[in-house]
Amino acid sequence: MTTAEGSGMKKYVAVYVALLVITALQFFIGYRNAEGSQLAVRFLTFAVIETILVVLFFMNLGTETPGFIKFFVYFMAFVLATMNYIWTDSFRLLLFRVTGLGPS
Amino acid sequence: MSEAHLTMGAHSAPPMEARPFVMLSKKFAMWLFIMSDVMTFAACVAAYAFLRNASTEWPRPFHSVTNVAIMTLIMLTSSLTMLMALGAAKATDKARAFRWMLFTAAGGVLFTVLHIRDWMGMMDQGVGLLKNPWGPAAFGAAFYSITGFSLAHISVGTIALIIVAIRYQGGRYNADDVELFNLFWQFIGLVWLFIVPLVYLMNLAH
Repeated sequence: MTTAEGSGMKKYVAVYVALLVITALQFFIGYRNAEGSQLAVRFLTFAVIETILVVLFFMNLGTETPGFIKFFVYFMAFVLATMNYIWTDSFRLLLFRVTGLGPS
Repeated sequence: MSEAHLTMGAHSAPPMEARPFVMLSKKFAMWLFIMSDVMTFAACVAAYAFLRNASTEWPRPFHSVTNVAIMTLIMLTSSLTMLMALGAAKATDKARAFRWMLFTAAGGVLFTVLHIRDWMGMMDQGVGLLKNPWGPAAFGAAFYSITGFSLAHISVGTIALIIVAIRYQGGRYNADDVELFNLFWQFIGLVWLFIVPLVYLMNLAH
């Protein structure tokens, strides 16, 4: 193993350990918090941190050109934004079920 | 006729367009594939979140997620072994790269076996695509579609990895191809890190 390869592996192992710790934390929170509206937000926050680590270091996005990084980030932001169109209708259905106003 | 055209004789290579974003075209294609796959997974996650949020009696059937924790450990470890394979391939150490790729494939096989075991446990409890003993019928369809799509990626990816490893060992593929596969493997590992909290940890029985 060359010196450059060795230092690269050290970085990967450090990110791997960080991912293990974050995942363990998620399992811990999952077992501790039975309910809570903040649970999904906490889990998604951890998942986003994991995504940043994996994409930057394991998929080496950081070594690509700034133009490609911008292209990737804008695209992902668009996908994540469009995912959220479901919430209004989802809450509408929930309200109908709770109040009994709409179809069950 | 311009001077440029005159100097381009019959033996010259045809003019090529510049590579997009200064990367190999096949690598760019893999990134585009991953980005399109993100949209597919995003649609699955959005559908799951829609159903989960709109239901007042969504079931919480998971009493233990030990199996899922082991699967997550395997997936994360296989991501690391894939990077080891890539590092060895870039250092032109073929034997070591091949060995690490086989370790990664073994992780993929183990993950698939544990995933099927998890599914069989759910089926034993009476969870089908359109029925379950606890609540909304959509639970089974949502669970099997989101985890099944991930399982399909991992199991097919494992077969693809074995093919890449054999072709790399045989000299048909090089370190660039190993790098392409690394992108795909890291992506499916990442998807699993979203599925675990959303599907399993948020539905733990307490």
